[in-house]
Amino acid sequence: MPELRKDPLIGRWVIISTERAKRPIDFVMSTPSSETQNTCPFCEGHEAETQPEIFAIRSTATPNGPGWSVRVIPNINPILRIEGELTRRAKGMFDVMQGIGAHELLIETPQHLGNLADLSVEQVQHVLQAAVHRIQDLERDPRFRYVLWFKNYGDIAGSSRIAHARSQLIATPVTPKRVKEELVVARRYFEDKERCLTCDVLSQEQQLKDRVVLDSSFVTVLCPFASRFPFELCILPKRHACDFASLQPEELADLAAAMQQVFARLKRVLGDPSYNFVLHTAPFRRHRAKVGYWKTIEDDYHWHLECIPRLTRMAGFEWGSGFYINPTPPEEAAHYLREE
Amino acid sequence: MSELRRDPITGRWNIINTDEPSGPKDFHLEPFTPSAAACPFCPGNERLTPAEIYALRPSVSAANGSDWSLRVIPNKFPALRIEGELGLRGLGLFDLSNGIGAHEVIIETPDHRRQMADLTLPELEQTLGVFRARSLDLRGDRRLKYTLIFKNFGRDAGASLEHSHSQLIALPIIPKRVMEELKGAARYAEFRGRCPYCDMLHQELEEDERLVAENKGFLAFCPFVSSFPFETWILPRAHHSDFAAITQEGLGDLARILKDVLLRLRHGLSDPPYNFILHTAPIEPQPREEYHWHIELTPKLTQVAGFEWGTGFYINPTPPELAAKVLREVAI
Repeated sequence: MPELRKDPLIGRWVIISTERAKRPIDFVMSTPSSETQNTCPFCEGHEAETQPEIFAIRSTATPNGPGWSVRVIPNINPILRIEGELTRRAKGMFDVMQGIGAHELLIETPQHLGNLADLSVEQVQHVLQAAVHRIQDLERDPRFRYVLWFKNYGDIAGSSRIAHARSQLIATPVTPKRVKEELVVARRYFEDKERCLTCDVLSQEQQLKDRVVLDSSFVTVLCPFASRFPFELCILPKRHACDFASLQPEELADLAAAMQQVFARLKRVLGDPSYNFVLHTAPFRRHRAKVGYWKTIEDDYHWHLECIPRLTRMAGFEWGSGFYINPTPPEEAAHYLREE
Repeated sequence: MSELRRDPITGRWNIINTDEPSGPKDFHLEPFTPSAAACPFCPGNERLTPAEIYALRPSVSAANGSDWSLRVIPNKFPALRIEGELGLRGLGLFDLSNGIGAHEVIIETPDHRRQMADLTLPELEQTLGVFRARSLDLRGDRRLKYTLIFKNFGRDAGASLEHSHSQLIALPIIPKRVMEELKGAARYAEFRGRCPYCDMLHQELEEDERLVAENKGFLAFCPFVSSFPFETWILPRAHHSDFAAITQEGLGDLARILKDVLLRLRHGLSDPPYNFILHTAPIEPQPREEYHWHIELTPKLTQVAGFEWGTGFYINPTPPELAAKVLREVAI
């Protein structure tokens, strides 16, 4: 019997079809793209082919030359522009504002590698350091309310033709809808119980164990109870914190090791699938005075990373209903990702 | 400069690239190639499908025979099952229930070579009439709260079979997207005392920038807050929350505008994959006065990437004003 499951964080129901359960072998994989180190603008030695860097972790003092480990550059085709005023206005019944924001690329390795799974733990640590640094820096711009850090890996996940490993940072002048929904639910739960919902989920999952993929000293990786997609993963810090940028150095090292491990397992178990990961962290809190719901945000919201391998196609039903049909129960997915 | 636009109903913001807008030539599409394998939806292959629920056939012809013009069958791999109790329960912090519901497939024509856009007006009207009939029939089941009718055309839009068909899923809950629309519409109506869709209809007619087609009963336009390039909505002029209340005359008007829009999408964008989604009110004793049923057509031209998933914030490279202009100018 298939099951309907409700995500306690945003109130979304998901169909888990236990009988049509799909295993790794049931999904067709895409082939990786094929440009080489010689033509890739993100490789070490090709710094002149990109925009000047905003930030880098490097062994040499000269910016925009070789000798770096990670590099952050402006996106050459930004979806939002950094210059200008927001000018919020109405157009009839609609609200409009200018597309102001920042759009940066985080080049995750000087080598021509595509998947985070192929980087060393130390390298992943540098990636995390760069993300933390950029988020803190973008917070200083008063026009921005949120920075989204995410990665598209592989054709199906929306990555463009260059295969070199990179993630993206987008600073937005509004808090995105998905994040807002999470914030509202987290606050409501906290009002009622004076506990963090995600902390409660974490302790329940640690007791039940059947959806836990990996448990390190600082993070737990699990397949969420109401997973929307097969092999969907959530990476959760064990220490309650609303803000990803508050990571301590030893926590960051532990997170890097866990991420590298998880992406390596996804690659082995599912044959190098396309995937997306997205950081969900608290919005910038300087608007606190204006917006009531940030009163308890430090206690009620819990930052996390969502990771979605792209194994199925979204069809009309999912778009129309916001109701996902997931052919792989998360317990099965966790089982495959644990035992390998 | 691109624009951020906010949907007043769901509260979702979209980014519209008004700077360097993508036209139809900027998307690469692979044609939907016919497969040689035996099609379970073709006449003569009825034994390959579950027994039919409903069919349009000459009165002398037997159920599940090959003489039909439209067939409704249960989905062979249903996402939800019709038998059993809902069994709503808790599991620690979580809520769950059994996957009760209906999952039906509407085979729109016996002809494998024709898609929805190729149906004659009477055939299309007949198909829409069956959507209405199936919706009304499922209302008798008290466990069901919502009927979603949709179509996936082309592999990239999620279709697994080429033979023209639509699907119906009846659910024991009101799905999240629909709930957001209902709540958003109620909020708008409470504040302004008007239906947001009626307001949208008037604004579209007045601004005349995003209209694609219109007839006596309906308006087709690319919405101001389009999430996807060439997204097109079909909105009835008359305010009504429930699609199933449509009259026979209404079905005729709807068939005409739907065929018109489907042909424009096909010729304007070289037969793109698309999703067709009928948005209508839930199955409830009291009508939702503030809601206005409509059809959303979304060609699948872009891949949804991490940013969209993580934020619910869509990046649309084609301003709806340009999309509407392109679709309006298609000669059909």
